[in-house]
Amino acid sequence: MNFFIKKLLIVIPTLYIAWTVVFVTLNIIPGDPVNLMLGGRPASDEVRENVRKNLGLDKPVFERYTSFLINATKGDLGKSYLTRQPVTTMIKENMMPTIELSIGGLIFGVFFGVFFGIFAGTKPNSMRDTFSMIIALCGISLPSFWIGMMLIYIFGTTLGWVPIVGEGFVSLILPSITVGLFFAGGMARLTRSSLVDVLNQDYIRTARSKGISKYRIVLRHSLRNAMIPPVTLLGIQFGLLITGAVITEEVFARPGLGQLLLQAILAKDIPLVQALVVYMTAVYIFLNLIVDFTYGIIDPRIRLERNRG
Amino acid sequence: MVEILNVSNLSTAFQSDYGSKQALKNISFKINEGEVLALVGESGSGKTVTSLSIMGLLPNNAYIQEGNINLIDKKNNQVNILKLTDEKHNLIRGNDISMVFQEPMTCLNPTMTIGDQIVEVILNHKKISKTKAFKEMIELLGLVEIPDPTQRAREYPHQLSGGMRQRVMISIALACTPKLIIADEPTSALDVTIQAQLLQLLMKLKNSIVSKTSILFITHDLGIVRELADRVIVMYQGEIVEEGKVKDVFDNPKHSYTRNLIQSLPEFKLEERKLTKKDDNKQTKVDDNEIILKIENLFKEFPVEKGFFKESNETVKAVQNISLNVKKNEVLGLVGESGSGKSTLGKSIIKLLQPSRGKIYFNNENISEYSNKQMIKIRQKMQMIFQDPFASLNPRKNILDTLIEPILVHDLMKKNEAINYIKEIINDVGLPIESLRRFPHEFSGGQRQRIGIARALVLKPEFIVADEPVSALDVSIQAQVLNLLEKLKKTYNLTMIFISHDLSVIEFFCDKVAVMYLGHVVEIAPVSKLFNSPKHSYTRALLSAVPKVKGKDKEKILIKGDIPSPINPPSGCVFRTRCPNPGIDCKGGNIEMGLIEVEPGHWVDQCCANCN
Ligand SMILES: Nc1ncnc2c1ncn2[C@@H]1O[C@H](COP(=O)(O)OP(=O)(O)OP(=O)(O)O)[C@@H](O)[C@H]1O
Ligand code: SF4
Ligand SMILES: [Mg+2]
Repeated sequence: MNFFIKKLLIVIPTLYIAWTVVFVTLNIIPGDPVNLMLGGRPASDEVRENVRKNLGLDKPVFERYTSFLINATKGDLGKSYLTRQPVTTMIKENMMPTIELSIGGLIFGVFFGVFFGIFAGTKPNSMRDTFSMIIALCGISLPSFWIGMMLIYIFGTTLGWVPIVGEGFVSLILPSITVGLFFAGGMARLTRSSLVDVLNQDYIRTARSKGISKYRIVLRHSLRNAMIPPVTLLGIQFGLLITGAVITEEVFARPGLGQLLLQAILAKDIPLVQALVVYMTAVYIFLNLIVDFTYGIIDPRIRLERNRG
Repeated sequence: MVEILNVSNLSTAFQSDYGSKQALKNISFKINEGEVLALVGESGSGKTVTSLSIMGLLPNNAYIQEGNINLIDKKNNQVNILKLTDEKHNLIRGNDISMVFQEPMTCLNPTMTIGDQIVEVILNHKKISKTKAFKEMIELLGLVEIPDPTQRAREYPHQLSGGMRQRVMISIALACTPKLIIADEPTSALDVTIQAQLLQLLMKLKNSIVSKTSILFITHDLGIVRELADRVIVMYQGEIVEEGKVKDVFDNPKHSYTRNLIQSLPEFKLEERKLTKKDDNKQTKVDDNEIILKIENLFKEFPVEKGFFKESNETVKAVQNISLNVKKNEVLGLVGESGSGKSTLGKSIIKLLQPSRGKIYFNNENISEYSNKQMIKIRQKMQMIFQDPFASLNPRKNILDTLIEPILVHDLMKKNEAINYIKEIINDVGLPIESLRRFPHEFSGGQRQRIGIARALVLKPEFIVADEPVSALDVSIQAQVLNLLEKLKKTYNLTMIFISHDLSVIEFFCDKVAVMYLGHVVEIAPVSKLFNSPKHSYTRALLSAVPKVKGKDKEKILIKGDIPSPINPPSGCVFRTRCPNPGIDCKGGNIEMGLIEVEPGHWVDQCCANCN
């Protein structure tokens, strides 16, 4: 069977399982949603009953669950308790800044990660290896929001090199770095170890026996082979990218899905939270699908395996 | 004679956690233009370190302590390679000196097409356009006799067989018509028939397009040295102990190591009586009446993995319709190229693998359907010795624990008794009693194999399957282990199946031989019959492919091409796609295979028996 179809067949159940988890967790949280909606104002039983009907909460749980799944498939995720707007509209309005931030973070993260990984991996056990790996360790262990605040303080407030708030490309730099830091450390370490491994392979010795320069050996002969584990890591860490974006938006006071999610949680706006989580799981699964496909591009052996399978 | 490379007083050492270790001790030699210089020596003697020193490709923990390596490069300048910077050395590597490595499976980049890998070296050293380089690459692939070069150039290494990959390596080495090609065991990882093809190709090229190129040929195979080389250098523990014309060194070895090396070759030993066998009166008689093992129409097929949605209906046909028997005290040899199904047959017989179909009678008891539980009692009588002694020993158990375990499991003796018994066995296999307290990693390869043998013997089996028991060992050690097995066979009254791809080992050790090809036994005969008058075309080709140290070189029968896939073997005679002289009836592929007896005890596949 075709590899793509096979993959898609796995994606669909995964998505439904994820959504089920979302539904179950949000519907067993204690507290009557009607109370939340009314914001604590007193109301007659009749009003309450009406609200309940309106929200479809009078139906049995299983029916609510199935209609949630059906609607989610159609992209209809209900209305916000607070604003009464359809949640999809709210999400659409807030989507762009987060996408920009995630892409920015992805680029910075991959760039720093791969750069330090190569820098260290081409000369294992040297000063520069140790140096790079200490930096990577810092990246992994120091909380990124703290680094974000330090960046604002140093480059924004003290040096005034980049704007902290505002619109446009430049204002994206510091937040992107902050998001990127969430996974740059891990990328760097994995790129390094994978590169060290590849550089010890027999075919690298063959390449050297041809009299090829060391730059070409790294760029042409090693990187592609070395990138499989880091790319896998990237797939697993897309979650970090999303978390990173949520936290970073808060630190930099940027609009976006992160802010929206935070507000929704604080206001206990269950449909909105539910919708946001549904979207994020879908995006996460989708991005992983892309990662799966890129393996084939990187490694012809995997490509062939798939075409045959 | 023009000297192109001069190595003088070269010493190389490795730095490790335990201090430094001398790998090369003050070696000097030279290579003349156009000559083939063989470098022989046992594993660890420093052959590879020598070649890597010349190439400047030593690992990071190695350093050259002193010495000079002078090369006359293509522009006729003399350069001292050891004084070059890495950038300058890059101008020489691949251009003036190139190298073919031992491991065809791993020495090409898996993510680049083979065409790109060849073009790369051309563009690196020649100032020509890409299209021109591409054309040269296609020509090179043609020269190394890769069929359909334009198509192959676009393929990746994993799509090629080991032999083909090694051809690609050779074309890379040839690409810039170097002054010197260093070939480090280029064929030892390949089957004999493929090895013969490659050696012939190498010599053909050597005598045509690169006639001025010298070759430094590293090998442990003295047969190859005899066939190819003009001069030979023998290394022993990092020193050159002998050097001279091939004929002189072979006829009149001066150093004791060289003498040992030559005499430890199984084919020599028969004459020199270094080995203890064929002292006919001492030999145990094969009991003609008692058949210990009899197998009938045995098949073993492995399903091909296909990913999780699709069940595959293809199978690897590893053992196909094999029937044979082994008499008491007899040693049956199994030979054949890799993938011919020798190990699968061996494992199926003692039921480490469950055969797909067919019957196995052990002492007249049909064990083919026995469950693992029923096999426990039988296993005591049937044991196996493996190729890789290290992998088959538990690294965390000392030797005593390893050996005593099966005895206690089978409840054969009390512990005290068992310990004394094990001491006896360990003495029999030629190890000191102190070994019992040591762990596997503290032993050398040869010693570990002795432990493997001891383990097979503790249960006092009647029957042993030995799967390539000496292939991982150096020739001189091989001889010791073979002698030991020969002795134990008598003391323990063993019947054996002895698997090996090495015909000379088979000739020395076995009474009867079965030749396997693609899952079939194509010929069975007593040793002397098989070696002196082989009947099957494959057997003949196989015998002829082996480089011989002694004896006149008959015209070689070369087998074309690679072994077909055991998933879709050819119909009819499985060998017909590579047969050097197929009969008229063979080509259609509609003859049934099956053994017939042409002389008492000499069985040959019926199609071949008819057409030869
Ligand atoms: N990377 C290494 N680190 C430490 N010692 C090494 C290393 N490579 C080789 N040696 C040592 O150098 C010596 C010579 O090894 P070398 O590989 O040249 O042997 P060889 O003759 O090529 O053997 P083989 O026939 O097994 O290929 C051996 O004692 C070996 O243990
Ligand atoms: S049967 Fe025919 S094709 Fe097969 S090996 Fe014999 S001669 Fe060759
Ligand atoms: Mg070697």
